[in-house]
Amino acid sequence: MNIIEVTNLSHRFPDGTIGIEDITLSIREGEFIVIAGRNGSGKTTFLRHLNGLLLPDTGAVRLAGVPVSRDIPRARQMVGMVFQDADSQIVGETVFDDVAFGPENLCLNECEVKRRVIKSLKAVGLIDIADQRPHLLSGGEKRRLAVAGILAMESRVLVFDEPFSDLDYPGVRQILHQALSLHKAGHTILIATHDLEKVIAHADRLLIMSDGKVIMDNAPEVIIKDVEAFGVREPCASRLGMEIESWLN
Amino acid sequence: MNTNHSIQLRKTAYASLFAALIAAGAYLSIPIGPVPIVLQNLFVLLAGLLLGSRMGLASVSVYLLAGACGFPVFAGGTGGIGRLLGPTGGYLFGYLPAVYIIGLLTEKTGLHAGFDVIAMCCGSVVIYACGLAWLKLLTGMTLNKTLIVGMYPFILGDALKIAAAVPIAKALRPIMRIKD
Amino acid sequence: MAELTAFHFHPGASLLHTLDVRFKILSFVLISISSLKAYPLSLSILTLVIFYAILISYLPFKSILKELRYFFVLLVFIFIARAIFTPESPVADLKQSVVAWQGIYSGALVCWRLLLVVLLGLIFVSTTKPSDIRIAVEWFLTPFPFIPGKRVATMMSLIMRFVPLILDQARETVDAQRSRGVENRKNPVYRLIKLIIPLMIRTFEKADKLAVAMEARCYSEKRTNKALSSNRSDWITLFGIICLSILLVNN
Repeated sequence: MNIIEVTNLSHRFPDGTIGIEDITLSIREGEFIVIAGRNGSGKTTFLRHLNGLLLPDTGAVRLAGVPVSRDIPRARQMVGMVFQDADSQIVGETVFDDVAFGPENLCLNECEVKRRVIKSLKAVGLIDIADQRPHLLSGGEKRRLAVAGILAMESRVLVFDEPFSDLDYPGVRQILHQALSLHKAGHTILIATHDLEKVIAHADRLLIMSDGKVIMDNAPEVIIKDVEAFGVREPCASRLGMEIESWLN
Repeated sequence: MNTNHSIQLRKTAYASLFAALIAAGAYLSIPIGPVPIVLQNLFVLLAGLLLGSRMGLASVSVYLLAGACGFPVFAGGTGGIGRLLGPTGGYLFGYLPAVYIIGLLTEKTGLHAGFDVIAMCCGSVVIYACGLAWLKLLTGMTLNKTLIVGMYPFILGDALKIAAAVPIAKALRPIMRIKD
Repeated sequence: MAELTAFHFHPGASLLHTLDVRFKILSFVLISISSLKAYPLSLSILTLVIFYAILISYLPFKSILKELRYFFVLLVFIFIARAIFTPESPVADLKQSVVAWQGIYSGALVCWRLLLVVLLGLIFVSTTKPSDIRIAVEWFLTPFPFIPGKRVATMMSLIMRFVPLILDQARETVDAQRSRGVENRKNPVYRLIKLIIPLMIRTFEKADKLAVAMEARCYSEKRTNKALSSNRSDWITLFGIICLSILLVNN
């Protein structure tokens, strides 16, 4: 079943520059997709249409059949988003409060909020520091906290915008591990990055964006040799003609 | 379609940010000369200039309310009503009318550097009036002594802050772009 | 940052920890205000009550004293000011300043009252979770028609989120400018401008991102209402506090 269907999606910014242009694609439930492209190629703009943070000028995005613009709260709940800057998306004064923020916005009752928070914190392994202040967490922990905040909303699609920037090696591994286990649990995963090295070994599908358009859309092994024309570095192992290994090994 | 809601949310975030800047300003200083310049009241002036009367007032009110409830937003970390009733509490209360007056004056006169300076001078006078009155009442000092302790040492710093606030406001106004 | 963490919540299970926050706030305000009218006899009673409260809530007394050191300086200042400037029967003539018994008495009284109010605030903060305080503030503001209680509560938690971000950002900006020799510039206005413009631009960007992230997580003012519950011990405590305040005011 297609969980996301994008048809002829275009968006122009108020100053007239083109954000994205004529994107058509569909995403099946449970796919693991990497979106790559140089800075300013439209990755973030595209992703922000999936949960209605931006609305299309022309075209439409359908989530399980329903257009995003018809029911924005539903879109926000279905498509959870982890932003590039982990620090500026944390709202609560404690880890627990921050995860509770989403479910409280959905007007769930208190027991349900608590149940979801505990479940999500367990899933990302932060349950032991639930009373900690978020400011004191490490980079990897902060991003895991952001993931927990989305899990608590029971989103089916998880979108990561540049999840590996600013992270040290253990931090990258934590997030990668998290994304994979969520994928295994049935979530649809979209990761936007300009650095394929860290994640491509796990992807089912690779989208290359350039100047607001989707230039290539195929299995990673088919197109990986051609990505450098679009400002994305081909992973080392692939250059050397070897098989790409996971960062988790 | 959801832009109204977005603007409302952005305003809330900006007002909170200014309240946080005022709180952080108590800990930030530039070491110049014998008396370091503490940035707290500079952020109050800027809140009036950049947020305008209503949002500026909201920002300062929430700051004071948070402090009164015991959140550690006042200098020295001593939160709570005790701080508002203490000797320097008058200055803190003075921020309320000051930010409103600054916001109102700049809104009425159109954004012009000269009027910004006048507005900030009025605001500073209001802060001192509240602060000194309370300090005098609490300590029982004569007016002269109160001025020596509670105003003269800070006047130069305040003049510098007003001078700095004009170009700062000019640089930041286009970035904030809050529409009513 | 150290200064900001000094005054904070100590987890525990004492009577003070378990009282309903709304009752605690009411009691706190009542006593704070009425103690400003109190005289030595009733102040002594209040002092005993406060020490008892500190004892039963297992607050670390030593660190409390340490946290108040800045405040003690202020108290000494007020005491001296009061002692010197209150007129009437002089006991000692120190050059120009006249110290009078009257002044020493009124100075001590003012300092005593302020110290108790600050101690009360400290006990309140140390035994109450920040999130509970926010819920209570929201509850108290609900009856007022033009004040959006939910938004105020959200703003309070945003303030506590932003303050450490701002301080970190300021430190980074200051270090970056120092390493480029800003200390050679003696003009204070120049340095104020060069510090504050980048600091504010960066923090505004953060506020913008935060607003977008909140939107992505469905923020609206229609959200789950957290329930507060009161029981008999809350009412008994409040009754006791009211009696105490009447005693304080009437002496």
